[in-house]
Amino acid sequence: MKVEFDDNGARVYISGEFTFTDHIAFKAIADRVFEGQGWPIVIDLSKLEFIDSAGLGMLLIVRDEASKAKRSLVLRGPHGQVKRMFAVTKFDTLFTVEA
Amino acid sequence: MFGLSRKPHDATAVPAAAAVPQRIHLEVVPPSQHAELLQRWMSLAEMQQRVIQALVAEVAQTSSFVETEADALSGSFQRLAISAQQQTARVDSLTSLANGIEVEGKSVPIERITALLEGTLGDVVEKILHLSKDSMSMVYALDELNANVQRVEKCMEQLNSINSTTNMLALNARIEAERAGAAGAAFRIVANEVRELSKATQNLAATMKGELKAVTDGIANGHATLRRVATIDMSDNILAKERLEVLMKALVDRGSALETIVADAVKESEMISADVDGMVTGIQFQDRTRQRLEHVVDALHVIDQALEEIKGSTAASLPGLAAAAPDIEWVKKLLERFTLGETRARFVAHLLDGGRPADLPEDIPGNNAPSSSGSAELF
Repeated sequence: MKVEFDDNGARVYISGEFTFTDHIAFKAIADRVFEGQGWPIVIDLSKLEFIDSAGLGMLLIVRDEASKAKRSLVLRGPHGQVKRMFAVTKFDTLFTVEA
Repeated sequence: MFGLSRKPHDATAVPAAAAVPQRIHLEVVPPSQHAELLQRWMSLAEMQQRVIQALVAEVAQTSSFVETEADALSGSFQRLAISAQQQTARVDSLTSLANGIEVEGKSVPIERITALLEGTLGDVVEKILHLSKDSMSMVYALDELNANVQRVEKCMEQLNSINSTTNMLALNARIEAERAGAAGAAFRIVANEVRELSKATQNLAATMKGELKAVTDGIANGHATLRRVATIDMSDNILAKERLEVLMKALVDRGSALETIVADAVKESEMISADVDGMVTGIQFQDRTRQRLEHVVDALHVIDQALEEIKGSTAASLPGLAAAAPDIEWVKKLLERFTLGETRARFVAHLLDGGRPADLPEDIPGNNAPSSSGSAELF
């Protein structure tokens, strides 16, 4: 998994594969994202090729944290396997998912 | 002799009309020829009677044949009607089969099965998702715990270092106490106590290190277990859901197609039933046919009776008249008009041989072989 930040850390670009092995790196991303306040958090997945159930679990943890911090969270641009995973898990009912 | 001189296949003429004698001008026929004329009339009457009797027999046979065949056809059509009704009922029962499946005596629509399966699969996926999230929360908690343990391990290292220094100080104190002699006795005792304390601390540190190792191993094991739970591959679930959707769509499509076909089949079966019922009614024509033929036979009997009476009264009035003899040529021309061998044979037997038509073969399909009995050979 590769990570890039934009807009002072409010926008995160995740590319490659997002799996269990990325949990430590993702924790660091989440910590950085929640350092800021007020901005909507956008996680851009347009270059993410693969996600497993651990990756979905980590996104759900971020969702809970965003809810606690009263920050809005948007998942943007899922495609391919990621989009199919979102469909089968009905992620669009849990998150704001943008094309 | 009786005027049957036209061609055999002249369709515009009829035998009865052809049999009418030539116009006779009585005023120009001398009385000597009156007897001959009467003789011809008597012969014609005789032949007419024979023809009438043959026709009566022929009509009776035909009526009987038609009635037998019509009865057989009616029976067949009635059986066909029953079969058609049963077929309609069976086809109709296919409608429910096309729409769903029987479960514990109840018909469950395919759409409901689809919804049930999708709901079950969705529930499983939702549980996997929650499990993954909780597992990852535990993983993060264990990561935190692991960091705490590592900090404790660093504290233990510092403790060991302090203990080592303390031990060294105790050893130095003991050396200095020995060098001081009697004055250092109390100091020696303190140095020994400090050394014992340092040993106890070292032993406690070793025990704590062992315990911390067990905690670290436990965390590592828990981490590995949670990893297995959190990384459950849902690809099969995705594919299963997609396959299920395709299969269910195919099943629903098939159900719809079957429903359409069955509806058409039911409609056609009902039309067949209605047609067959109409045929059963229509085949009753033999009753009317029989009644008409009975009228024909009755009329022929009346004519025969009238001829018999006029023959009898003529013969009684003119006893000198010769007995009526068959006119072979006339009969031959009449019979040439018949294309059916059996009919011709029966007429020959009746007109020439005086045989009873009922004893002769009937006109039945496939039995047109010419008879070779009696005078039939003449024709």
